[in-house]
Amino acid sequence: MRNEATGAPLLSLEGVGKDYAKVESRGGQVRLVWDLLRGHGAANVFRALDDVGFTLERGQSLGIVGENGAGKSTLLKVVAGVIAPTRGRVQVNGRVGALLELGSGFHPDYTGLANIELSAALLGLSPREIASKREEIVAFADIGDHINEPIKHYSSGMVVRLGFAVATALRPDILITDEVLAVGDESFQKKCIAWIEDYLAEGGTLLLCSHSMYHIQKLCRHALWLRDGRVVREGAAMDVTQAYLAFHEEKSAQARRPMAAAVAHAAGVYAVQSLAIAPEGSLTQGETLSIRGEIFSPDGRAPVVLLGVVRADGTPVYGVASDMEGVALRPVGDNRFAFGLTLPGLALLPGKYVVRAHAMDPEGVRLFDNVERAFVVTGVSREMGFVRLPHTWHDPD
Amino acid sequence: MNSPSPSAGHAVVPAPTAAARDRALFVNFFKRELNTRYLGSVSGFAWAFVHPLVLLVVYHFVFTTIFRTTGFGGQSFLAFVAVALWPWLAAQEGIQRSATSLAGYAGLIRKVAFPHELVIYASVTATLALQLAGYLVVLLALVAFGEPIHLEGLLLALPLWGVMAIGIIGVALFFAALQVFIRDVEHVLMPGLMILMYLTPILYPLTLVPEVMRPWVALNPFSWLVSRLRDALLDGKLALEWGDAVAVLVAMAIFFAGRWIFRRLSPYFEDFV
Repeated sequence: MRNEATGAPLLSLEGVGKDYAKVESRGGQVRLVWDLLRGHGAANVFRALDDVGFTLERGQSLGIVGENGAGKSTLLKVVAGVIAPTRGRVQVNGRVGALLELGSGFHPDYTGLANIELSAALLGLSPREIASKREEIVAFADIGDHINEPIKHYSSGMVVRLGFAVATALRPDILITDEVLAVGDESFQKKCIAWIEDYLAEGGTLLLCSHSMYHIQKLCRHALWLRDGRVVREGAAMDVTQAYLAFHEEKSAQARRPMAAAVAHAAGVYAVQSLAIAPEGSLTQGETLSIRGEIFSPDGRAPVVLLGVVRADGTPVYGVASDMEGVALRPVGDNRFAFGLTLPGLALLPGKYVVRAHAMDPEGVRLFDNVERAFVVTGVSREMGFVRLPHTWHDPD
Repeated sequence: MNSPSPSAGHAVVPAPTAAARDRALFVNFFKRELNTRYLGSVSGFAWAFVHPLVLLVVYHFVFTTIFRTTGFGGQSFLAFVAVALWPWLAAQEGIQRSATSLAGYAGLIRKVAFPHELVIYASVTATLALQLAGYLVVLLALVAFGEPIHLEGLLLALPLWGVMAIGIIGVALFFAALQVFIRDVEHVLMPGLMILMYLTPILYPLTLVPEVMRPWVALNPFSWLVSRLRDALLDGKLALEWGDAVAVLVAMAIFFAGRWIFRRLSPYFEDFV
């Protein structure tokens, strides 16, 4: 490729910042236009990106993680050239294929085929080249006769299919994707991931933005964590995503502290008052986990407790409520009721898990608050999944 | 799910030059403008004629039957108005449609990098092309009905449309860029253009305007255009004047001014469109 001779990176960003104008008052727009025309830039701004810098060499893959509003989409738009940075420099030495916010700029009234042509024109293809690519794109999108219907009648999944097919049809030097994998169905996701893996294996360069740490870890070697428009951390995908997850665990743990009894009383709700697990924090595979805690009841009737184990990403593993097994919680005074549960020889495979406790009304119908305790199961097992099922290997005859 | 993956094993298509890309994009936008504007509606292309024709008939009735206006220099009212009305309606429609056209491309502007001014070029030229087709049909019809039209005047009239197009694009660029930030623009444009139409000697000759006001009316570039079209098509005068050179310069100045403003504002469209 062109840049190989010069040795310049495929993509480099230096001190990139982007401000968005804030228009609050009625006459604000007029003022804004006047400021922009004078070349002053907007006076009242929201800083979407600040001092972001990184380089991407050919064949590298970079994942971008961050909360909603952290500036991920803005960063991708700056790289794609859709918006100009307010500060700093962006240099791209190749063709960019971008899939931003579902669909790569489709017109809702156009049919799928007409949109393929539009996208091809946006990339500067001649009509002959367009014709040669059309069949591949249609085949990859695999949306059947819908290709002849206006995009506005498509489901979001179909739009993503077509968008991905178009964005990848030309084997861009850099592929930029924004959460596409979250929308398509399972089989299309697999197809996309297979395509991206193949593309990376052939030396393609990827810039992926996703809330799925799984996808980032699977597809990207490096990752960058954005927060409030700034780079918090940059490095190997595994390290960055783990730091990001840890940050979120801490944040949600703060939000899930037990509700004060006075508050629960005033609100007339059942509330978990305490939740403790033993051993605390970490246990080895096959050890026994013991859970205990107390629930406040506003009317003095014995509440029901629902206890469960979920994976750190929220996938439920197991849940059981006290009323399912006819267990009554023990009153301990002050409208409080205690519970205890033992899980002997815990079959969970190594990983991060969370114990959840929900307070429920005595009828076991309404579910109130949610208190959590995180723990880690350690071990060296290479088994897959998250629960070890009892099994024996037997003679095949 | 074993459909072929796009371009696996294909050579990378060489990156196109910016100019070639812009041309392909313009053609695509131009077709899209024509399609969405007329070809999608029931009677399609015919609408380009119906509106001006109805107006022409109404004006003819009001001015010759009710007001019994005279003073068209002995020229037929129909020919006198028809020659000027179409270019005016083309300009008006071109400006009005373009002012709001960027909103229709919001999906593209937010997600793809491309020169936004192509939208305006396509929108204006599509409108003017349709109106020009209507203009030619009407001129031929008037000739067929024996109205005094000099068809050889088209040799001058067509370049005059070209000059007009340059100016209109400049004006359209200005209002379209403004409309993105200030939504009132489209609401001001409609009455504004209507007032301008009555201030332009389209339905009346300049000679009917009181002497003191005449220089002001003549300052309107459209007054010049209308009078030159009448010279060519009603009188068959094809000779060029010094004023024509000035007009070309004015049209260019409007175009470049409009484009400067548009380019200044277009980096910020993405957030407001």
